Amino acid sequence: MATKKKRTSNVDNDSWVVIAPGGTEITHFLLFSFFFLNPADAASLYMLGCGDVMLYEVKAFEDDFHSWFVGQAVQRDGRLIFVTPLDPLFLILPYLIKSGKEEKFQRVDQVVKDEEFPACSRLLSCARTLASLHHIAEEKEVESQMYHRYSQEKTMNWLKKKVERTVIALKKKNVSVGEGVKSSTYVRVKSETDNQEEDFIRYSHGLISEYITEDLSKALLTHLGLPELTSPKETEPPSKKRKLSDKPVEAGEDYTKFNSADFARKPPKKMTAAQKSLAKVDKTGMKPMSSFFSPKVKAEKK
Amino acid sequence: MDLSPFDDDNSVSCRLVSEIPEVCKTEDCCLGIDEAGRGPVLGPMVYGICFCPLSRKEELKDLKVADSKTLTEAERENLFEKLDEAKSYVGWALQILSPNTISTCMLRRTKYNLNALSHNTAIDLVQYALDSGVQLKEIYVDTVGPADKYEHKLSQRFPGIQVTVRPKADSLFPVVSAASICAKVARDRVVKGWNFTEDLGEVDTDYGSGYPNDPKTKAWLLKYLDPVFGYPQFVRFSWSTAQTLMDSKAVNVHWDDDEEDGEKAAQRQSNKSMLSYFSVSAGGNDQNATHQAHRFFTERRLKSLNTL
Repeated sequence: MATKKKRTSNVDNDSWVVIAPGGTEITHFLLFSFFFLNPADAASLYMLGCGDVMLYEVKAFEDDFHSWFVGQAVQRDGRLIFVTPLDPLFLILPYLIKSGKEEKFQRVDQVVKDEEFPACSRLLSCARTLASLHHIAEEKEVESQMYHRYSQEKTMNWLKKKVERTVIALKKKNVSVGEGVKSSTYVRVKSETDNQEEDFIRYSHGLISEYITEDLSKALLTHLGLPELTSPKETEPPSKKRKLSDKPVEAGEDYTKFNSADFARKPPKKMTAAQKSLAKVDKTGMKPMSSFFSPKVKAEKK
Repeated sequence: MDLSPFDDDNSVSCRLVSEIPEVCKTEDCCLGIDEAGRGPVLGPMVYGICFCPLSRKEELKDLKVADSKTLTEAERENLFEKLDEAKSYVGWALQILSPNTISTCMLRRTKYNLNALSHNTAIDLVQYALDSGVQLKEIYVDTVGPADKYEHKLSQRFPGIQVTVRPKADSLFPVVSAASICAKVARDRVVKGWNFTEDLGEVDTDYGSGYPNDPKTKAWLLKYLDPVFGYPQFVRFSWSTAQTLMDSKAVNVHWDDDEEDGEKAAQRQSNKSMLSYFSVSAGGNDQNATHQAHRFFTERRLKSLNTL
């Protein structure tokens, strides 16, 4: 039987391998959960840099079986961390929506407040944050004080622009957006023609939806003039006709596990006379057939 | 024998050859194949061929070349000198398979076992002799694996040449004994003067015979075990002796072609049980339980972080 290798979780890392934009000086870590709808999701990590004027999101490339050689040391987690700029409006948006239900004009510094994540008020010091609030809110100036009220219409237009810009970026980077493509490095020689534009818009919408609430995501889809897709429920067998979806393209079933060592096949209840006599043979000390085809079993550590 | 081409880079396979005697290009020749260093966990495996005209087969016997295993190291060196002196009609060629070559062949993704490696090395050397214009008519080989299968393989590969594969061929045919002496001498010299590419400082060269059951070799292997890198390239990593020590004493390293238990692997890849496809869709209410990231991120293995 194949040995079980214990995977210990990656603990006590004191260094990271990070790709960050030049001149990034991280001044503050923001822990932040803006998917209010989804408390199961842990808060995500953001960073403020360059004296709080820049907001960055943090993503990590994580795959099995990777490690780093850093200088004269080995780092067992093969993670590659990316620090990339993020539009602070995405993080401010949920606070505005929440206060928008009161339908009053309010000062943003009173809106963007969070007991759980007190650092969120720092978002307002980000460059152009206050200047760009008009994309998602109506503004009113009273006695040289600015007051804001969330506007769904403005937000939709702003998000639509984001989607359009993302489409341009996707095309420029030759990202495969169609169905049936698994490898991101796979380059199609012929460009797909049917429904291509819609594929791009849907893909782009899916990407933007990573940064907004589900309600907004649905509203945005309508705003883009796209019908909602009825994707098959996960528990049902996939229908024969392929449907467009944002879900990753993956094989639905895994047949290979039946090839594994501990997949025990129950002996058939009815056996022929020959099988019965074979079953009676003393099998102690005999290796299973499969052991001859598997690589040498490594002795378990610990 | 000039070993410098191998010493320059002992991480790869290297061929050393004698000059081809003119007489071998005109007269029908016989050729012997043998190897040295098949079993040790340390050092290279050396394949040797030796060839001479059929008419002068008996003269080799007069040199008293015998099975290399029955000879002392000094006697072997002596006999190799004699062979070298007989270069007017005896030619040889060697293939030194570095321990690193053996390790990487045997441990690669599509396994390349030692027998296949041995057979192919032998075939390459025979082909070298043919390419150099040696008029080969007979080949004698000490067997690797079942003799008849090996003989069949070689006969098919070299039609028109009489192939004889025998166990203990090195004591039966002088030309095989000669090949065996060449191979053994080369291996002895390489092992003695092994050029460690790793920075190990003063290396303790008292590693014994290099065979896995030699206590000296075992002690040396224990001493030079690095927890991260394992061993210097002098060691055959594919030998179970080395593997067992690394498994117990060194850091665990997981490769993506390691065998994993079916259930566990399936769980890790979050594969679903076949049964879930047949059960009535009772569990439709767990849709919001986890947020599935967009495929842009999942395809690129990008995850959000919540802590550093």
